[in-house]
This record gives sequence, C-alpha cells and structure tokens, in this order.
Amino acid sequence: MSAGAPSPSVRLLNLVAELTHRCPLQCPYCSNPLALAPRRDELDTATWTRIFREAADLGAVHLGLTGGEPSVRDDLPELVASARDADLYTHLVTAARPLDPAGLARLRTAGLDSVQISIQDAEAGPSDEIAGTESFAAKCALARATRELGLPLTLNVVLHRRNLGRVGELIELARELDADRIELANTQYLGWALRNRDALLPTRAAIERAAEVVREARRHGPRPEILFVLPDYFRGRPKPCTGGWGRRHAIVAPDGRVLPCHGASALPDLEFWSVRDHSLADCWERSPGIDAYRGEAWMREPCRSCPSRGDDFGGCRCQAFALLGDAARTDPACELSPDHAVVRAAREEDPAAATSLVYRSTSAGRG
Amino acid sequence: MTGAFEARLRGILDEHYHHRHPFNVRMHAGELSPDEIRRWVRNRYYYQTRIPIKDGAILTKSEDPTFRRGWIRRIHDHDGTEAREGGLDLWLRLAEATGQDRREVASLARVLPGVRRACDAYVAFVEGHDLLASVASSLTELRAGPFLGERAEAFEMHYDWIAPEGLAYFRSRTTQAPRDAEEGMAFVLAHATTSEDEARCAEALLRKCEILGELLDGVVWGGKRPTLVPHARTRQEAEGALLVLPERAIRLDPSAEQILRACDGARDADAVAAVFSERHPDEPSVARDVYDFLEQMEQLGAVELRA
Repeated sequence: MSAGAPSPSVRLLNLVAELTHRCPLQCPYCSNPLALAPRRDELDTATWTRIFREAADLGAVHLGLTGGEPSVRDDLPELVASARDADLYTHLVTAARPLDPAGLARLRTAGLDSVQISIQDAEAGPSDEIAGTESFAAKCALARATRELGLPLTLNVVLHRRNLGRVGELIELARELDADRIELANTQYLGWALRNRDALLPTRAAIERAAEVVREARRHGPRPEILFVLPDYFRGRPKPCTGGWGRRHAIVAPDGRVLPCHGASALPDLEFWSVRDHSLADCWERSPGIDAYRGEAWMREPCRSCPSRGDDFGGCRCQAFALLGDAARTDPACELSPDHAVVRAAREEDPAAATSLVYRSTSAGRG
Repeated sequence: MTGAFEARLRGILDEHYHHRHPFNVRMHAGELSPDEIRRWVRNRYYYQTRIPIKDGAILTKSEDPTFRRGWIRRIHDHDGTEAREGGLDLWLRLAEATGQDRREVASLARVLPGVRRACDAYVAFVEGHDLLASVASSLTELRAGPFLGERAEAFEMHYDWIAPEGLAYFRSRTTQAPRDAEEGMAFVLAHATTSEDEARCAEALLRKCEILGELLDGVVWGGKRPTLVPHARTRQEAEGALLVLPERAIRLDPSAEQILRACDGARDADAVAAVFSERHPDEPSVARDVYDFLEQMEQLGAVELRA
C-alpha cells in the first residue's frame, strides 16, 4: 500500500480565489500587495462561478476562498455552493469578522468543506494589538462553532518577534479549540512586512527555542498537526515558494488577474492575464507572466546547475525582486546566492534597535 | 568458530528483541494508561498458556532422557508443582493486582485476534520444525532475564496502583530465564554443526522475535478502531484515487484505497489488517505494513485511531 503525491509535475491543484482586498484587520505584516484593488473592480458572482468550473476542468482539487476577508462579500454562500457543484474541496480562510457562527452554518449548508482562522497571538491583548482591531474573542467563538458544525479547523498564526515566544501557548490554544491543524507561519518579508522587518524579525535564539517547543508538543500525539518551518532567513536555503512558480498553485486576484503567487503582482514588466479577457486555462497555461519563471529555463547560476533546483525551484521570485531589484536572481535567502549578505545583514541587526510597527489600514475594509 | 555464531545470535536479539517495540518502550517509561496495562496483561496471558504447550512439543522431539529431564523443568516452572506456584498462577496474580477478575482472564475470552494469531504462530512454528530450530527459537530468554528485571523496577516506579505482590512473575523469571537461556544456548552451540544449521537457528530466532513484536502489535492495534475522517473526500482519476483533505491531496494505490475503505469505525485495526492477511497468508509482515500505513494516515489527518 502506498500514498504519494499527485502527478504530473505541472498541474493546477490548488486555486486561491482572492474574493476581495477589503479587510477589517490592519496587520503590519499583511501579505497583500501594497496597491489594493478597490471594491468596484471585484469580480461578480457569475464570473467566479465560471472560474470554479474551469478550475475543476483543469484538474484543480482545492479551492481557497480568501481575501482580504472573504466574508465581507454578501454572495459568499452562493460562491461556496457553486464551488461545491464543481467538486472543488473548499477551504475558507477567514479572520472571523464579519463572519459569525450563524453565517458559518449557512456556508456549511452551502457545502463548505473546511475552515482556516487566523489568529495573531495566544491571548486577546496582543492578538488584538497586532490585528489593529478587537477580534480575538470573535475568532475563538468562530473556531468553536467550526468544530461544533463538524468542519475541520486550521488555525493560522503569523510568527514574528513579538509572538514567537508564545508558540507553546498558541499550540495549547489550538488544543483547547480542538483544531485539527495549526500553521505556525514565520512572516515572509515582502510587501507590508518588509517595511516592518526591523520590528518583526526575531533572533536566531528565539527561533531555536520555538522549534524546541514544537518538537516537544509533537511528542504528545498527532493532533493537532503542527506546521512549523524554519524561516528562510535563518535556514540558509530558500523556501520552495508555492511549490514552484506556475506548477501547482494559482491565485485569482480580486481584479481577475491570474497570478502564480500572492506577491507576483508587485513584480514589474510581467503581464498577467485576467479571467475577464481569457479562460482560466489560457491564463494558467499561456499568460506571459506565469510563463516567465515556470520550469528552469529562466534560471541563472548558481541555480541553473544546482542539484537542489528541483526541490526549491530557486526560491522566491518576489523576494529576489524585493531585496535585489531583479526577480530572476537567486533568492538571497539561499546561502549559495552571491547576494546572501543582504539577508545575513538583516538577520544580524541588533534587536535593541527595533523600531515600532507601521499598521496597515484599508478604508475599504469598513464597508 | 562457535564464538562468531553465538555473536550472530546475540546480534539478532540486540536488533530484533521486543525491548525496542514502542509499546514496551512506553511501558517502561511509565506512559501506559491503566487500561493499556490491563489490556496487555490479559492478552499476554494467552502467550503464557502457550509456553508449556510449546515446551511439551519440544520434549516430543528429543530421544535424549537427559535433555528431556532438563527441559521438563520449564513446564514445571510455568504450570507449578505441588510444592510451589507456577508462572501461570503468578501471571493471574498480576492480573488481579491490576484489578481484573482472575477467572475472566483465565478464560481467555477477551484475547484479541492478532494476539491469538501471534501466539498460535509460535506453537505452530515449533510443531513444524526440528529440535534444533525449536530450541533456537527459545533463545529470546537470553534477553528476558535483564529485561524483566527492568520491567519490575519500571512497574514499581511508575505504576504504583499495582500492588507489589503482583510483580512476582517478573521477579521469578529474572532468575529462571537466564538459567534456561544458558542451557538452550549450550544446546544450540553443540548441535548446530554446519553453516546450514547455523542459518536455520538464526532464522528461527529472528522469527521468534518477530512473533513477540506481532503479539504487542496485536495488543496495541486490536484496541483501535481506525476511522476515515468524515471530511475526507475521494476522487477517482485516471492515475488512481485521490484522497482529498484540507490543504492536502494524497494519491492512493489500490491497496491503500481498499484499506481506507475498511476504516469504517466498526472494524478494529486487526480486522482491517485481516482483509489483507487473508489474501497473503504466507506473508507475516502484512499486518505490520497495514499498521504502518494507518499510522502514516493518522499523521496526515486522514484517519483517526479511536480507542
């Protein structure tokens, strides 16, 4: 008996539908692009329904419904139902506002398969402080409602200097809320987070302590599953970003553009097609922007001849651009990169020099 | 010359004796719950009852009165004599000390099928092999003495809810087992005269180690009911079935798919494994493969192993 990964190597498996950029939270590590799509540019219900059908025809298995905050859209139950009709496994990624337990029950009835709730810290004070709004109690209530409805629950926590020391409490909270899974995701220093990097980047010692707490917690059995990956800044090797550019994973941005990852719209000179003008299959298979870094032809040394290129795919294009101004260079998180010094310098910054956080604010989020 | 052979046999024990089985590791670390201890005690009693039967079978293979006179002592040790209590009685005292009814345990009514299979496989092995291989299979006792000493200490330290007089079996075996093992080893060294004999002895000892592991697997897994999580969905594709879970999709081969289909929460893991054991009766490791697979599925959040 065996269980393995799906084949072939290029297949759209996971579609992320960014239904909106509107969000009631103001997290200082927000991973959405600095330029947000206004509400009037969002795709309508019928277009999303068409995209879900086309994604299923391409072989997609999972559909992430995300944002921004997806529950600000009034048509969310209809969108869930149409995704379910297309036989996609739906996963709602929510900050639990404005969605409440009654709203979640409606989504369950519409066919929702699973829920991910983001929390910012293990208790109300610091969690609400990072979110920039009072939300912790609502998140816990929605988490409980998720399990009461029999839906699988993932908690997602973005880790940074201020909450890394509370990894043990976060895992404890996941147990208490009966979560199936907790993702302890170290901040990716792109977009808004890069602006706040000096205030967010933890020390190596703090990361090692957190890793030890995770190892210990895993000894207590398989539930909740704990996802914790050493951050690329400290690992010396880049992350296999989105499992390889244009390989498994696509994002449809609120304005309809199909992207290989969250941050790719920040890369200049790349033309990403929109589902307003093309089929999803064309956007995925033929758009010049996705084609630009798909496969290995774009690679330069040291990636081009590197034995790890099939595992890490040269790392993150967005990070190469954000730190070096050139998306085709090797991700500087890799110690083999000639530019690795920029990551090393950030990592060795004196924590005492940390500055305060700049909060994100989207006026649209209060709509 | 025999030095190398003896080292080979001891090497097999170092590597394969059940001292490394996760259940024994947890037992000695004090991690087992009272229910787990009780389940182990009443199941392991079935193995205790097989020992005199196995030793009786060994007696019938020997033409040598001296050998038989020595070996029959093992039966007396387990069954007892007019003068003293035997190992079976001591084990039932352990069962009582864990809060179980002596008669119920002695009735063998609650012995799990995987445990029964492993113990019966041991008796069948001895019945089907010659004297030399049978004696070789008993050499696990070389390890049993010190191992049971550790066990008695671990029980005193971690499971103080079990009255100390319940531990008499372990104490008695710490002296009996080394004596038996030395005699067994002397016999094997004297009678394995060809390299082919040596290979048969090594194989017999290895098989016995596996049986002890299978017995513990039967205790662990017979108590679990694997259940496919309700939110899992299966899609049929040209390349085979795809199991879809939150954030993950797993390609299944036909056997994997069949096993998961059997994970209905009604069957226990032993019954799930039996689906395959029936098809591969000569393959003793199939159950182990099924258990490993179920553990892997549990890690991936596809299966819950309910008690």
